[in-house]
Amino acid sequence: MKILIIEDEKELALDIAQYMSGENYLCEIAATYDQALDKIRFYNYDCILLDLMLPGGDGLKILDFLKDENKSEGVIILSAKNSLEDKIKGLQLGADDYLAKPFHHSELAARIHSVIRRKQFDNSNTIVLNELRIDLLAKTVHIHDTIITLTKKEFDLLIFFIGNKNKVISKSALAEHLSGDIADMFDNHDFVYAHVKNLKRKLLEANCDHYLKTIYGTGYKWEI
Amino acid sequence: MGNMSKLLNKPFKAFTLYALLTLIGSIPVYYYVVDYIWIKELDEHNQIIKDRIDERLQTVSIEKQKMDTILKFWNIMQPGTTLVPSENNTLIRDSIYTVIRENKHGNILEKDRFRGLVAPVSIAGKHYRLTVETNVEETDETLLAIALVTFVFFSLLVIGFIVLNKKIAKGIWRPFQNTLTQLKAFDLTKHKNIQFEKSDIAEFEELNEELEKLIAKNITAYHLQKTFIENASHELQTPLAVLKSKTDLLLQNKDITSEQLLILNAINVPLSRVSRINKNLLLLAKIENQQFEDIETVNITAILDESIEMLADYITDKNIALHFQNKASVLISCNKSLLEILINNLLTNAIRHNSTNGSITITIEDGKLTFSNSGNNPLRQNTLFQRFSVSSSATTNSGLGLAIVKEICNRYHWQIVYSFEKNKHLFSVTF
Repeated sequence: MKILIIEDEKELALDIAQYMSGENYLCEIAATYDQALDKIRFYNYDCILLDLMLPGGDGLKILDFLKDENKSEGVIILSAKNSLEDKIKGLQLGADDYLAKPFHHSELAARIHSVIRRKQFDNSNTIVLNELRIDLLAKTVHIHDTIITLTKKEFDLLIFFIGNKNKVISKSALAEHLSGDIADMFDNHDFVYAHVKNLKRKLLEANCDHYLKTIYGTGYKWEI
Repeated sequence: MGNMSKLLNKPFKAFTLYALLTLIGSIPVYYYVVDYIWIKELDEHNQIIKDRIDERLQTVSIEKQKMDTILKFWNIMQPGTTLVPSENNTLIRDSIYTVIRENKHGNILEKDRFRGLVAPVSIAGKHYRLTVETNVEETDETLLAIALVTFVFFSLLVIGFIVLNKKIAKGIWRPFQNTLTQLKAFDLTKHKNIQFEKSDIAEFEELNEELEKLIAKNITAYHLQKTFIENASHELQTPLAVLKSKTDLLLQNKDITSEQLLILNAINVPLSRVSRINKNLLLLAKIENQQFEDIETVNITAILDESIEMLADYITDKNIALHFQNKASVLISCNKSLLEILINNLLTNAIRHNSTNGSITITIEDGKLTFSNSGNNPLRQNTLFQRFSVSSSATTNSGLGLAIVKEICNRYHWQIVYSFEKNKHLFSVTF
């Protein structure tokens, strides 16, 4: 799957590319407005990451262009401004998601995963992973064809882990994913441990393989 | 104003005191002047009488034998004068005297003062002693009269001072009062310059000019500071994002040891604090710049419910008992994001500064939203809402949460009050 990273901060663009490279993603980078337009014009992508503040032009205009050309790429806006107006404007112009900088790579990966899924499978959106079958619309999880009951947060975590296969995810990234922006106001994220523990137990009880690993002192990893 | 007195009352008091002292001092002076004039006039008067008597006596010739009878009658008929032969027929000298005699007027005994002149007269070659006496006003009576008049004039002066003082205060000080009113209403954060009224009094005009300069400088300094903070936080965002990105990537390194992982975690904690501070500084700048201008009708209760739900994990983590009563919907007109931020910050505060197994009570009554949570020591009220005023060792503390709350309250003229009662921190916002 192809991802276009439109981002003028080279380091950040390279890091995103590196983080995503483990999966079967192919990342390309555009550092300016013109470069971005050139790439969009000639190639098709599964997902575009768009920084709104670009040298050479307003990132929002790229959204206009995509709309005019009837391109169906999923777009995630990456913004340092964290302004509500930009978010609303961006989503109105056809962006699929909005992520404020700074963000955890795991969060971005999960969002990319979700955007691509939504674009590819319009109505029946199911992830199948060995013995696991997850229906994203009905929010149900089957293991070996047996349904297991997860709380909303456990379900969210499972999707998050699957979007970050074989990556170490820190507890704070998980806390931020579950409770949003406010998470960095707290220094104790023990509740993450409680939710993950419950998720793990439920998966194992249904004879799911031992994918979810605890990395001592740091976080978790979905190993497959 | 406590012990302060108005500017005009100060000279008024001094003037009054000075007038009082001067007038009191004038009483003996008046007395001596009046008494001196009296005595001088009476002496002159006595002298004139004596001269007349002397003159007339020279024009008549009296027989020696009849002289005794005449003298006798004289002394009976003319009580103001006495005419007696001088001892040994010597020529006496003129002399002046003052005497106080007791006189009986009816049944009342009164002391009267007299001024007398003793002078020699010669009748038919014989020397006589003529005494002329005139009643003078007594000392105490003069003094009393002068004191009375002085007091009346003093009262007139004081009344005049009061009336004039008020008139002057109203007229002359009006431009000053205007300046003062404008200064009181001035708010640095409102981006509005002050225009003082023109005054025809040089001192006030000078004051206004200097104030205008001072305010203009202040506004510039405030703007510079604000833009500086804004730009600084903007500039910090990208490096912070890169830092966060790098630590995330490092975490994925297969060769990383558990020791290195711990260090990486230790880096992440202050890093997220800096991010938080930066984010909050930007937020403050945005609120100050009058962004978030969309106004809609928002249900406070609904936002509270969302906030509680979002923070539920943290509440359970600390085993805090949360009470939220009176769940009727309360509608308010404001920017939804700002209200969310306000409520989130207050609730976050109540959780963070709570003890394990503590409690939080939220109430909405009569347009007043109160968060109450258990705590041990009261917080410092005067600095509580200032930026970075609460120095806490807690690594996640941005020191800006309450400053943001205050800024939002200022924006909508809501009132935020903190108090500490019965081991509970109370934060209440009156909408």
